Amino acid sequence: MSCKSAGCNALLFCHRIALGGIAGGTCTSSPGVTLAGVMATVAVMSHEQPLIQMQHLMLRYPTGKIALSGITLEIPQGQFVYMIGESGAGKSSLMRMFYGGIRPTSGTLIVQGLDMRDANDAKVRDIRRRTGIIFQDHRLLFSRTVFENVALPLRVQGWQTERLIPRVRKVLTYVGLADRLWSYPEALSGGEQQRVAIARAMTANPPLILADEPTGNLDADTARRVLDYLMDLNRHGATVIMATHDLHLLESHPGRVIQLHGGMLAGDNW
Amino acid sequence: MSMDPMNRQVIDTHGVSAQPHVPDQVHPRLPGGFNLPPFGIHQVLAVVIVCIALWAVGAIWLGLQAANQWVGSWQQDIHIHVYLSDDHGSAAGSADKLQEALQTISQVASVRRISAEEAAAWMQGWLHDADLETGELVKRLPLTFELSLTDENAPFLFDDIRDAASRFGARVNEDEVNLARAHYWLSKASWLVWFASLVLALAMALIISNTLRMTLLARADEIHLMRLLGAKEWFVRMPFILEGMVLGVAAGVAAWILLWPIDLFSREWLLTMQVELSLWLLLPALLIGGGVVGTVGALIATARVVSAETAA
Repeated sequence: MSCKSAGCNALLFCHRIALGGIAGGTCTSSPGVTLAGVMATVAVMSHEQPLIQMQHLMLRYPTGKIALSGITLEIPQGQFVYMIGESGAGKSSLMRMFYGGIRPTSGTLIVQGLDMRDANDAKVRDIRRRTGIIFQDHRLLFSRTVFENVALPLRVQGWQTERLIPRVRKVLTYVGLADRLWSYPEALSGGEQQRVAIARAMTANPPLILADEPTGNLDADTARRVLDYLMDLNRHGATVIMATHDLHLLESHPGRVIQLHGGMLAGDNW
Repeated sequence: MSMDPMNRQVIDTHGVSAQPHVPDQVHPRLPGGFNLPPFGIHQVLAVVIVCIALWAVGAIWLGLQAANQWVGSWQQDIHIHVYLSDDHGSAAGSADKLQEALQTISQVASVRRISAEEAAAWMQGWLHDADLETGELVKRLPLTFELSLTDENAPFLFDDIRDAASRFGARVNEDEVNLARAHYWLSKASWLVWFASLVLALAMALIISNTLRMTLLARADEIHLMRLLGAKEWFVRMPFILEGMVLGVAAGVAAWILLWPIDLFSREWLLTMQVELSLWLLLPALLIGGGVVGTVGALIATARVVSAETAA
């Protein structure tokens, strides 16, 4: 089954893969709730067209500092990609370029079929709606309930409140927090807060999930559980790109490893 | 199975089982769009301050309304009367010469001579048929000249009339001169009132803008996040613009209510001058004015809401 979704341009053929039949994806914290039930399908790109393409990508900040230089990479749909490197290597800058937070100075960056150098504001907004973002400090709104936090991406996309509640319930059930629907984030532990952030990133069912050091503030066990969720999302079609310093996670949860050093590509292990 | 509105995904409603029971009764306050942000102490203070300013504007306009009513019909048709007493009027040709002198004043459109009989009849009517002796009145009333003016605001007009009158021993009705001048000063004052209203409106807009700016700073994370999630600018800014409008309208209503004591306490005194204030005329003006001021304040506050990291 194939289609052209509203956000896809001519290069971006969107396939709807019915995931209901895919095995696996069961999470330990919420038995009985399968990811297939939450993310029944994920809009994915054609396998001929990588989800993200970079050629000689360069980023120079107005201060003159060169954050990235000569990056040439392709990230196909459906990969789980770790981005590693020392602090200041350019991981976060590259992640920010993927959602249009900053524009490349030179080179080519095509994300979900959109050339990010020339994209107008409306197209960048469209990319952001098709991208789930998880931050190290999770950036939850502490004056809002868990429901309101998780519902925010759908609210931005124009969903009515009546339709939001069942959808948010379902996503929170998947991350094992259905009973905290009306709690405020400050009443949750660090791991629970990060799970809320994961729920927020996946609630709109995006084909691309960017996670900028999501386990940075978590203990090893909680970090592994967060990785379990991200791996589960990846198994069901979402492309996950995760910047991290926790190298031990690479052994327990293997994936493609892109290493940056001083703003340049230092390694790429598939 | 159900389809989402963007037709991008199919949600399998059979995927969830054994959900814990959490009630739906809590009404979520979702940010963005046409949802108003929560009101706090800053908003209450802004309403109070803007209410005081709007009350001051309303009171000034009420004063102008009263003054305009007091001057009343004089505004439309201003006449000045010059009286020539019988002693001087009897002098041969004095009346004719006075009429001629008054007609030479360029801002005097016409001079009508009112006979003592006509004046007596008018006085009888003015005194509600007081049954005065008309013959006696005619003897005592002076010869009257009624002057129609082309431009009562002309400089030295009244001085010229006084000069002409004094040359023939006549005198000018100074009460009428004062009313004609009141009309002139009222027309000047209305410009001042407009100017004061505009200055106060600007101050009110800045007060609301400042309040909303504080709210915006307090909610910078939320705005930043909404932009990261792909929210349109109107979606991010609309709640603050609505809030500004609501603050302005609320202040307008409060100011209008607080104007009633002025009317109640001054009503009897004003009625003696045939002045009756209408506060209902001020209600739409204060509502619309408050709303506009609040909206302008919100537009000023949201003009530069920058989230550096999310700049597309």
